[in-house]
Amino acid sequence: MSDAPDTAARPADEASLVAALNSTWFGANLPPDTQVRLGRLARRYQAPAGTVLLAEGELANELGVVVSGRVSLRTLVPEQGMITILTVEPGDIFGQSAVVPPYRATSSCVALQPVDVIALDGPGLRAALASDCELAAALYPRVLQALARRLSATRLQMLDLFASRQGGKW
Amino acid sequence: MVATSTTIGFLPRADLQGLIDLLRQDGRTLLGPTVADGAIVYDEIEGVADLPAGWGSEQSPGRFRLQERGGERLFDYAVPPTTWKRFVFPPEMPLSVATRNEDGTLTLGPAKREIPKLAFLGVRACELAALGIEDRVFLAGPYTDEDFRARRNASIVVAVQCAEPASTCFCTSMGTGPGIRSGHDISLIELDEGFLVTAGSPVGSAIMEQLPLGTPTADHLSAASDQLVAAREKIGDPVEARGLHDRLLAKLDSPRWAEVAERCTACGNCTQSCPTCFCTTTVYQSDLDGVATSTERLWESCFNEGFGKVAGGNFRYRFQDRYRQWLTHKFATWFDQFGTSGCVGCGRCITWCPVGIDVREELNAIAPPSGAVLTLPEIKPVPPPRPGIFTIASKREETPDTTTLVLTKPGGMDWEDVRGEFVMVSLPGIGSVPISVSQRTPEGMVLTIRNAGPATTAITSLDAGAQLAVSGPMGVDWEGPLELAHGKDIVVVAGGLGLPPVRPVIDTVMNDRDKFGAFRLYYGARTPSDLLYKEELAAWSARGDMEVAVTVDRADATWLGRVGIVTYLFDQASWDGSKVIAFLCGPERMIQASCNVLQAHGVTPDRIFISMERHMQCGIGLCGHCQMGKFFVCKDGPVFSLAQLGDTFGREGI
Repeated sequence: MSDAPDTAARPADEASLVAALNSTWFGANLPPDTQVRLGRLARRYQAPAGTVLLAEGELANELGVVVSGRVSLRTLVPEQGMITILTVEPGDIFGQSAVVPPYRATSSCVALQPVDVIALDGPGLRAALASDCELAAALYPRVLQALARRLSATRLQMLDLFASRQGGKW
Repeated sequence: MVATSTTIGFLPRADLQGLIDLLRQDGRTLLGPTVADGAIVYDEIEGVADLPAGWGSEQSPGRFRLQERGGERLFDYAVPPTTWKRFVFPPEMPLSVATRNEDGTLTLGPAKREIPKLAFLGVRACELAALGIEDRVFLAGPYTDEDFRARRNASIVVAVQCAEPASTCFCTSMGTGPGIRSGHDISLIELDEGFLVTAGSPVGSAIMEQLPLGTPTADHLSAASDQLVAAREKIGDPVEARGLHDRLLAKLDSPRWAEVAERCTACGNCTQSCPTCFCTTTVYQSDLDGVATSTERLWESCFNEGFGKVAGGNFRYRFQDRYRQWLTHKFATWFDQFGTSGCVGCGRCITWCPVGIDVREELNAIAPPSGAVLTLPEIKPVPPPRPGIFTIASKREETPDTTTLVLTKPGGMDWEDVRGEFVMVSLPGIGSVPISVSQRTPEGMVLTIRNAGPATTAITSLDAGAQLAVSGPMGVDWEGPLELAHGKDIVVVAGGLGLPPVRPVIDTVMNDRDKFGAFRLYYGARTPSDLLYKEELAAWSARGDMEVAVTVDRADATWLGRVGIVTYLFDQASWDGSKVIAFLCGPERMIQASCNVLQAHGVTPDRIFISMERHMQCGIGLCGHCQMGKFFVCKDGPVFSLAQLGDTFGREGI
């Protein structure tokens, strides 16, 4: 996300960051100490539609929480171009590779609309998760929930339920 | 057939021809047992000489052999492969004839059918019970088979009590025999010297009065009694009949289904030899130039591969699913549908199974039955919907494989009196398909059709001005759930081609917006180009008094909308499910996921309504294709509440 701060970064006010984080599904109702600690790792930025927030294969230096707007997760398919495999709506996260080794993005994250994002610093977040049990206990279930929701959705997408079964057994 | 006389007469053997002559008078055809093709079959009988004197049968699982017994006795065989079903419910029956006129218009007419005057000689107690079951299937309604009724009414039934049951018989367990109780016009008990004769109806009494009957002696009566006791003892009671309904349905997950499927070849012999199986299919035969097409009804089997097939897949692609469907229908869900067991214990399915699967053994292994006959409510028969000729007024291509047709008919449609969710659309010579009515118009209706096979492809390729035959609407529509939804919040979840069937819900709420609370539509499709009703979606979204959320499974970079499954649209929503009535239609797996999310939001199963997809052919619950557990989807649905469906919903192979 190295280019993102240049597009629309602005100084983060810790209290407003905590409030914004609290307004999202991912960041709501965390223990106060955890909120404060995350606030110190967070910055907030806006980016116009079309901005590549994170490119596939890049080091994921930040975990993003969408406050408003829509982010697409895309992957390059030969002869088909960039295929959107999922869109991330307000409250949900992208760039979770920032906390999962080898910390490299598994898809490209592109703003489909002007977006407002809270970004948590990857190395700082990893250090906090390794050293702060309370923060880890509060945050990991949410990361896991986000991933599990994505996994079950991916399964249904793979089933291609809407496809015509003309070639099936008859 | 009410018994009118308990008088028993004795007919000397030499006078049986007299009874045959009486049965054959007025040109009536007499059908009875005769030896042919290495078996005993039911065929035309002109005299006593045609009957199988001295012949019996040796039967066991997968085996039937004629057995020369000697002697004069005529009826000492156990049930043959033929059933009386074929004479009251013919294996092939013409239904209608369609003609394409020179100007392109269609003319529909009924097929020519004659109802023959028949008499059946040699009907066993189990077979009388089978005819009684068929009466319930075809005449219990609301739709009835009037051809069957006419054939039944035109037939005289002469029963002959069974004295030599086969090793495959189990009428005793099913409570149908071997003693004759009811359903006959005349009953005979064969003794060495002659026959004991009893009338079971006024028709039977009238015939009996013309016979040279003597008075049976005490020896006659005691010989008859001994014969019956011996038959009963020979059969025993091989299947525990009490509680079979509940016990079978509790064993839908038994490993035995897969085990029996290893032997079952899905040949359908059991259904073809069964005296009560009633599933049919419809075929269309046209002359080479396509001008005249006749529609015929043929016997069908739930073991056939295409039986459970719909555009989205085959609901019973495994043999174990088909065997379970057949067995649980016969012995369990038949009770729910027709108030009685579907089995009479004749044992034909055992004898004629080429691999010798013994239904008694399977029942005892999986679970055991109840001989109880439940009382069904009295019904007033409803005439089946008659096809009408509709003209394609206009067509719109929704996606590369889906087309919306606007149909009209002269005089229009009076939707005030018409209920129903779907219509059967027929193109003579090509086929007939069920299509949900997506919009009701004063002139006709609007149908959105995906090219899922030859018939739908042919129908959607027609141009404006072409004519189609349309039967219906039929089935349970959304009206009940919509009434329940007055004052409540509405959630509509549609996937893929599931949007057209829920369109009437959207239109109803839109037209009477004040009657309903918050209105949310969640729609998922495969790709952006697969989205239906794009203009309407934009217009609904712009109204401001409803929430429209759309997602697709995959998209290229030009799509700026949502990508993800349909449940993503509402699984994290903050609305209160306690006031929601939900309407769903789409692929079953998607609906399951949506139901789970809805229930997590507090929407209870009695407030979740689903339009189910099954293979529909006749549309009136008589052909059997769309059976799902105790329901016929075409007649009892297609709209069901999740509570109604219970654990049938989402179960594999149901």
